[in-house]
Amino acid sequence: MAEIVLTLGVPHTPLLWRTMQEPVPDDLAPIRSEYQRLRALLDAARPDVIVMVASDHFRQLGTSNMPAFLIGKAPIMRGTHPNEERHFGMPRVDVPGDVELASMLLGGRQLPDRFDFSFSDEPWLDHAYIIPLLYLRPELDIPVVPVNTNCNAPPLPAARRFAQLGSYLRDAITGWSDDRRVAVVGSGHLAFELGGPRQFSGGSPGPEFDRAAVTWIRDGDVDAAVAGCSFDRMLSAGNLSFQYLNFLTCLTAAGGVPATSADGVMCRFGAEPFFVWETP
Amino acid sequence: MINKLLIEIDRTDEAVAAYRIDPAGFVARWEAAAADPQPPYPDGGTLTDEERAAFEALDYGTLYGMGAHPFLLWHVVRAVLVSDDLDVHTLSARYIEAVSPHGHPDFAT
Repeated sequence: MAEIVLTLGVPHTPLLWRTMQEPVPDDLAPIRSEYQRLRALLDAARPDVIVMVASDHFRQLGTSNMPAFLIGKAPIMRGTHPNEERHFGMPRVDVPGDVELASMLLGGRQLPDRFDFSFSDEPWLDHAYIIPLLYLRPELDIPVVPVNTNCNAPPLPAARRFAQLGSYLRDAITGWSDDRRVAVVGSGHLAFELGGPRQFSGGSPGPEFDRAAVTWIRDGDVDAAVAGCSFDRMLSAGNLSFQYLNFLTCLTAAGGVPATSADGVMCRFGAEPFFVWETP
Repeated sequence: MINKLLIEIDRTDEAVAAYRIDPAGFVARWEAAAADPQPPYPDGGTLTDEERAAFEALDYGTLYGMGAHPFLLWHVVRAVLVSDDLDVHTLSARYIEAVSPHGHPDFAT
C-alpha cells in the first residue's frame, strides 16, 4: 500500500526570494535554517511524489471561475507566472507531475463521494508552490500533485472542509494499492497582511492568532483549530491569513496527531510557519 | 469586475506598460472586450461609473474602499506606480495612508 512518509507545513512568502540571498540578513537566517532542516528531512524520507496543498493567488484561477478545491493532473507543469518574475524575481521552472496519483485522488472516472473536486489538466503553479519547492527540493526532480484550495477569494470553504480534505487525502493515499512513498507539503501563512493598513509593519499583524495557530498544530488539536479559524478571526489577524487553513489539511493528513515540531519563526515578514509531522 | 480588471492589468509587462501610459484607454479597451458576449450589468458597461473613474485615476484608496482584493490591488499599485522617482517604501506609506480610513472592507467577490 502507498504510505505517507512525511508531512510538512511551510511558508511561501515570495519576497524571500530576493531578500534571503547571501549574505543572508540576520532576521532571515533562522528562516533559511528551517527550510534547510526540512529539506534534509524531505530528502531522508525518500518520497516518490509530493502532494502539495497550496492556494493559487489569482494567477491561473480568477474570479470568473474559482474552484473551492482543485487537483492538477499533468505529467509536466509550468511554474512561476510572468508577473511573479517581475514582482519577485523568481525563475520560470517546469515541475514534473504524477497523473496516476492525481487521477486516483480524483476517483478515476467518477469523483469520490466525500469530495467534489475540480480538476485541471493544465495546472500552472504560482509562488505558493514554487517558493516551497525551490527551498525544499531545488532539484525539482520529485513529481508533484497540486491540491489547490481557495484561500484567497471569498467566499472560502469552511475550516472544517480543510480538515476533511486532509482526512480524505490520508485515507485515499494509504488505501491505494500502490507502493508509492508520499510526502504531503502544505503551503501557507500564519497571521499575514498585504494590501491593507498593516502591510510591511515589520512584525506580525496578529501575534495572538500566531500563538494559538502554532499551538493547535503542536497539540494536534483539530477541533480547536477548526473552531478557531472563523473567517472573521483570521481576517482580524491579517487580511491574507486564510492560507493557514492549508495546515489544517496537513494536520489531518498526518492523522490529526501532534506535530513533531511546530514553530512560528519571526522575521521582517511576520511569523513564518514551519510544521513537521514525521512518520514513526 | 474590479478584481478581474486588476488581474488583467498585472498579468503581463505589456499590460502594466499600457495601463501606465493611458489608463483610460486601457480601461475602455478592456471594457469593450469584456462586454462580449454579455456585459454583467443590465444597463450596459462592465464597470460602474465610480469604478471606471477610480481605475482611470488609479485611486487606490477608493478602490480599496469598494472592496478590491487587497493582494491584487497592492500588486497593481506597485507595478504601475513604482518608478525612478517613487520607491516602494514611500509608495507603501502613501498606500497605507489612503486605505487605512477604510479598515478592512468586505472583499468577497
